[in-house]
Amino acid sequence: MSLLSVHGLSVTLETPAGPAAILQDVSFDLAAGGSLGLVGESGCGKSITALAVMGLLPERAQATGAIVFEGRDLLALPEAGLCKIRGRRLAMVFQEPMTALNPVKTIGFQVAEGLRWHLGLGRADAEARAIRLLDRVGLPQPRFSPALYPHQLSGGQRQRVVIAMALACDPALLIADEPTTALDVTSQAAILDLLAEVAAEAGLALLLITHDLAVVWQNTREMLVMYAGRVVERGLTRQVFERMAHPYTRALLAASPGALDAALPPGRRLATIPGLVPDPLHRPPGCVFASRCPRMRDDCLPAQPGERNLGPTHGVACLHPHREVMPV
Amino acid sequence: MSIEPAAAGWREYWAHGRGSAAFVIGLAVTALLVAVALVSLVWTPYPVDVMDIPAKLQPPSAAHWLGTDQFGRDVLSRLMAGAVNSIVVSLVAVGIGAGLGVPLGALAAARRGWIEEVVMRFNDFTFAFPALLSAVMITAILGPGAVNSIIAIGIFNVPVFARLTRGGALSLWKRDFVLAARVAGKGRTRISLEHILPNIAGLLIVQMTIQFALAILAEAGLSYLGLGTQPPAPSWGKMLNEAQTLLYLAPQLAIFPGLAIMVTVLGLNLLGDGLRDLLDPRLRRLR
Repeated sequence: MSLLSVHGLSVTLETPAGPAAILQDVSFDLAAGGSLGLVGESGCGKSITALAVMGLLPERAQATGAIVFEGRDLLALPEAGLCKIRGRRLAMVFQEPMTALNPVKTIGFQVAEGLRWHLGLGRADAEARAIRLLDRVGLPQPRFSPALYPHQLSGGQRQRVVIAMALACDPALLIADEPTTALDVTSQAAILDLLAEVAAEAGLALLLITHDLAVVWQNTREMLVMYAGRVVERGLTRQVFERMAHPYTRALLAASPGALDAALPPGRRLATIPGLVPDPLHRPPGCVFASRCPRMRDDCLPAQPGERNLGPTHGVACLHPHREVMPV
Repeated sequence: MSIEPAAAGWREYWAHGRGSAAFVIGLAVTALLVAVALVSLVWTPYPVDVMDIPAKLQPPSAAHWLGTDQFGRDVLSRLMAGAVNSIVVSLVAVGIGAGLGVPLGALAAARRGWIEEVVMRFNDFTFAFPALLSAVMITAILGPGAVNSIIAIGIFNVPVFARLTRGGALSLWKRDFVLAARVAGKGRTRISLEHILPNIAGLLIVQMTIQFALAILAEAGLSYLGLGTQPPAPSWGKMLNEAQTLLYLAPQLAIFPGLAIMVTVLGLNLLGDGLRDLLDPRLRRLR
């Protein structure tokens, strides 16, 4: 049985202009120790998916469907029950390490507090373990004293502290929401390597949210491509990259700098996707990508295409997917 | 190696605080005030309440450093004893205000919804009346006296702290580290105590010193109106009140209590500023 099973998850946000469907019928499974990448452009619902799993949706948001984690439906669980799971079995790394740490508490305190709170460790034990954790994420003693404050560290170092906090209680699932977006390129690679390393070491499942296809390619076994609150393509990362069946997936790749091909020749500009993501208040009845799709035909407009299988582990929600293998 | 802040040692706080003139002056003035108040409990140059009519309205002299009032009482002795009064009034009034206001404000920010509405509308209601006027009303209902004036001033400190705490807390609840704390499985109460309050402590301390000063002024005002401390107990405001009619005859009677209030208020404000800088690890550059 899978560790995390999201089934038919929809999230509606109450807005002054009426309810906006920001997530529609999202389903996926993540096995223990597995890794799943969630890709898509800004506003496609990646982070909302993560927050829904964490049970931290904004108050005006209403979630339906099922999020089954270790056999329990998180959507049906009361807040007190969620508090026991969050941080203990479910952990999360945020996009912005500059603000994810409490500025007035030492990093050692922040790593240790989860241990004291969830595992009931005494002060000395928690401290000793916090120091080991900091050491594990590449902040060794005595250079990085646990008595340091967040503002005394660089962005990459702070993200390491955030990872240490997430790992503290040996969670089963780690959600990383754009963990490297706010970091410079050299720290990005180091942080991603660290995440992959600790995930493999502790056997924890990784749900990696990013807009960067290269990050997904390097770090996940399976992937999900999302667009306008829907899953448009899914499968083993290798397969999805080989085939890129959904026009949106290809457009995303064409728009990323040097994801698979070499550096751009001078004078050539990066491809962009024409048009805008449809307003969640006025989603078209048909395929959400139709208005921007180069392969759009008349049958795309009346109804949202259902997902169909291209192989046992590869699905796409498109009536006219690319059939040929992606020329690399 | 400890995870407690390395800079938390008193010696290091002092090493940093010494560098700030405002903090040193504020601390010195406040310490002087407390020392004077303590001394007055066991010793004053002259008995506080004993009248000596033949020696009335004397200017400052070697015998009476700050002169005597219209009953021949020693002004210095009464100022010293009045310091106790001022400290007690402001401590208790700020204690009531912060003790009720901070939890209410934190609760409003943490719970939102109808709880917040109730707390904040009650706040607005209280704010709608001028504080001193309301204090006058409360003392009129409860009867004049030092204790009642303390309660009245304290009640009108509650919304000040509630509003400040809620405002600061609301902006913090939007921050990622609070989300991170929720992800770590903490409840709203724990987050309020461990993450929200420490981050607005500086704000609250500054406000407390301001409210200290305002409480001293308010007590002086109430006593001036005859609703606060009752004679013959000494109070700075009462002394100002009594000096009013004698302003041309013996201006020193108004000048000295006025100076005492001014210096105390200034000292407390300086201390608050210095403390805020000291308590914020980002402003405290020790390394």
